[in-house]
Amino acid sequence: MTNRRSFLTGAGAGITALGASLVSRAGAASLPEAPTHTSSATAAPLAPTGGRPYNPVVTLNGWTLPWRMKDGVKEFHLVAEPVVREFAPGMQANLWGYNGQSPGPTIEVVEGDRVRIFVTNRLPEHTSVHWHGQLLPCGMDGVTGLTQPGIQPGKTFVYEFVARHAGTFMYHPHADEMQQMAMGMMGFWVTHPKNPRQHAVDRDYVMLLSSYDIEPGSYTPRTNTMLDFNLWTINSRVFPGLDPMVARLGDKVRIRVGNLTMTNHPIHLHGHRFEVAGTDGGWVPKSARWPEVTTDVAVGQMRAIEFVADAPGDWAFHCHKSHHTMNAMGHDVPTLIGVDHQGVAEKINKLVPGYMVMGDKGGSMGDMKMPLPANTLPMMSGDGPFGNLEMGGMFTVLKVREGLKRGDYGDPGWYRHPAGTVAREWTGDGAEALPPAPRAPDARPAPAPAGQAMDARKPGAKDMTGHEHH
Amino acid sequence: MASPISWHATLAVSLGLLLAGCASVTPERAFEASAAAAQARTGVDARLLRSDADRQALQAEIDTLLQAPLTQDAAVRIAALNHPGLQATYWEAGIAQADVAQAARLRNPGFGFSRMDGGGNRETERSVSIDLAGLLTMPLRQRMAARRLDETTLRVAAAIEHHVNATRRAWIEAVAARQALTYARQVADAADASSALMARMTQAGNASALDLARESAFHAEAGAGVLRADREANAAREHLTRQLGLWGKQALYKLPERLPDLPAAPAELAGIERTALSQRLDVQAARAAASGTAADLGLTRTTRFVNVLDLGYADKRETGEPKSDGYEIGLELPLFDWGGARVARAEAVYMQSLGQVAAVAVNARSEARAGYLGYRASYDVARHYRDQVIPLRKQIADETLLRYNGMLASPFELLADAREQAGAVHATIEALKDFWLAQVDLETAIGMRLPAPSPTDKKDTPQ
Repeated sequence: MTNRRSFLTGAGAGITALGASLVSRAGAASLPEAPTHTSSATAAPLAPTGGRPYNPVVTLNGWTLPWRMKDGVKEFHLVAEPVVREFAPGMQANLWGYNGQSPGPTIEVVEGDRVRIFVTNRLPEHTSVHWHGQLLPCGMDGVTGLTQPGIQPGKTFVYEFVARHAGTFMYHPHADEMQQMAMGMMGFWVTHPKNPRQHAVDRDYVMLLSSYDIEPGSYTPRTNTMLDFNLWTINSRVFPGLDPMVARLGDKVRIRVGNLTMTNHPIHLHGHRFEVAGTDGGWVPKSARWPEVTTDVAVGQMRAIEFVADAPGDWAFHCHKSHHTMNAMGHDVPTLIGVDHQGVAEKINKLVPGYMVMGDKGGSMGDMKMPLPANTLPMMSGDGPFGNLEMGGMFTVLKVREGLKRGDYGDPGWYRHPAGTVAREWTGDGAEALPPAPRAPDARPAPAPAGQAMDARKPGAKDMTGHEHH
Repeated sequence: MASPISWHATLAVSLGLLLAGCASVTPERAFEASAAAAQARTGVDARLLRSDADRQALQAEIDTLLQAPLTQDAAVRIAALNHPGLQATYWEAGIAQADVAQAARLRNPGFGFSRMDGGGNRETERSVSIDLAGLLTMPLRQRMAARRLDETTLRVAAAIEHHVNATRRAWIEAVAARQALTYARQVADAADASSALMARMTQAGNASALDLARESAFHAEAGAGVLRADREANAAREHLTRQLGLWGKQALYKLPERLPDLPAAPAELAGIERTALSQRLDVQAARAAASGTAADLGLTRTTRFVNVLDLGYADKRETGEPKSDGYEIGLELPLFDWGGARVARAEAVYMQSLGQVAAVAVNARSEARAGYLGYRASYDVARHYRDQVIPLRKQIADETLLRYNGMLASPFELLADAREQAGAVHATIEALKDFWLAQVDLETAIGMRLPAPSPTDKKDTPQ
């Protein structure tokens, strides 16, 4: 849901009037509206209302910033401010962002456009905006102290430059960067080619990767965490809070991924081969592309992958670092796999009523619905047609379907597999014998704790009832 | 010659009988005064055991009391009735009573008869003798014996009060020590579960020998803690057993598992110093001693009264409080018209006794104040633990379990928290124990029991 709020009325008027006076010649009246967005659902692509035509992108669980044309210049208004972002149903985060959300709205322009961006600071400290990857005058580069003074709280600055070449970019503060990016300040930027047929695709998804360290039970990221983050997000959302990417069978699809975390992310797509068609530097010549199913997006990098959605189904799309597809977990929890709890469990239970053995058969919690600290998501969750997906973090699903409408981005539901195309339990049907399972040479069985049956089945929901009620 | 003798004899015998009728030799009567004084202060009925039947009845009563876990009131009752040392003390009243009776009697008259035959002569001599000196000093001896009886009555009452309060303290200590042992065991159990789990982890190859040694070391130390707590619980229990005067099978009594809960509100006491001066037996004894001194010295002509509390010390005034001397709170004793012979010594002896009363009274007032402040302060501490520390500990435990549920915390963290909880519970028990001890101290200092908690508090005070 996008709404427009006037900057000259309402509660913001005082701040705006102060900020507007700094816009000098332009005058307060000419400051464009600062639209704000209150939902974390994916907004429909924003078709251009003026200027050169282009094929708009879809920001997964995000939105595109509307603009106005003023004397041939595209004017945008970003407001840097504290926001509350839902990471997934059941968890909210106190972040900093732009225009009501983190990440900020995607800015879409066309190659050659003159762009003017007003940036109002409603944060408690100064900020700036760096237009990551843009070729622009040095004084517009947004590096506090180096190319401009910081935008003080309550002030509005204006940036102006020509989007010189088509490609995929980001924006983020270059002032107290460590804190402000740990708080979620970032946004996406797409400069479309002058010729809309060039690099044209049917569906163009964009996403920023960011990471947070939010203690279970709390709301605000620990901004001094350097590496040991516990929430790995796509557009400040985690699975199962991420919408699926939808494509019609045969569509040409582009997914643009920018990395503003502090580590690399090997982005992996199931069921398809893709090519890296673009980087933050521009388009990769066709002759230089090679097929991949995983591409690494290093820190501060941008990768645009392209493929034909030629395989119907529900295909996983995720960072291949397995802990990046988990929600908050205890990093200091020891491994309990294979540990016999007989006797010990009773002792613990006497001291800690409600205690239940977990982890002795692995990390899977199956369908257990355990009470968790407030504002905490299960480590791995997500209900699929075959049960719990046991996923979190940087994970979503590419849904390829026949006969979707062109602009239809709605969730088509779970894939209906043709008969006989789903893995199934072998029950010894027919006269066919199970083929032998040769063992590795010199294989030794791992020591199993005495008295423990090697039963790896998940406990049934019925067994859990006692635990759900405490 | 015969007639004067028989006159004398008749006089002496009849006088003796007359005086003997004045003073009873029943020990109960003297003891009853002590018991009544003690009852007023401690709420406990003391009883003199005179016969085997009495003793058997008492044993049966004790057996009945011991069937349930021993409450503080039951402990105090048993101690007052059963403690052999205390029973021995009770007989002091009987002894003093007998002395009074004895002082009211003359020595039995003596009869002499001799006959001498020899050389044809026979000499017969008959004599009757009575204790004339005894007859003359009888009023003085009677008065002194009566005073000793009064003193003994007070002393026996004080002994009961002292023993009762000491028993209350011993009971509180014993129950608290037992409770502390329970929680020391909880710490040890948590350490046991930790080290057992770590042992299983080591067995499965998931932990190292160092991890196991660390957990085991903690377990071993927790075990030492249990041994220490056990020793303290035993010592405290034996102390109580001695106070109760129990032995044999009766010494196997059961104690409650926990101390009584904190009352909903502390007792509000007004005029504690006044209460202390009027109730405390030591103040009464000192005053009686001073009066006795005056009587012994034959001091009768009172010229004025002196407030012994004003001797050498100016009374404190507190804002908003009435001036706290005067008749109600002061202790007044007569001052005499000194004159005549042996004045200097009499005056010195009497003034010495006044000083002693003042000293006792000043101490009593200070102890009353200190007792009340200590009582209120320990109430606040115990309430702080009950209302602040324990709920927070509970919340920590709940939150830790939620984190364990989400695999955000390990079982070792759960167990470490269980150990820390036990630490807080231990401190809470100590605070509650200190409160109940402070209450006994306050009751000792003011010489009476605190009023029972108001009805709304009763749910919190099951004991």
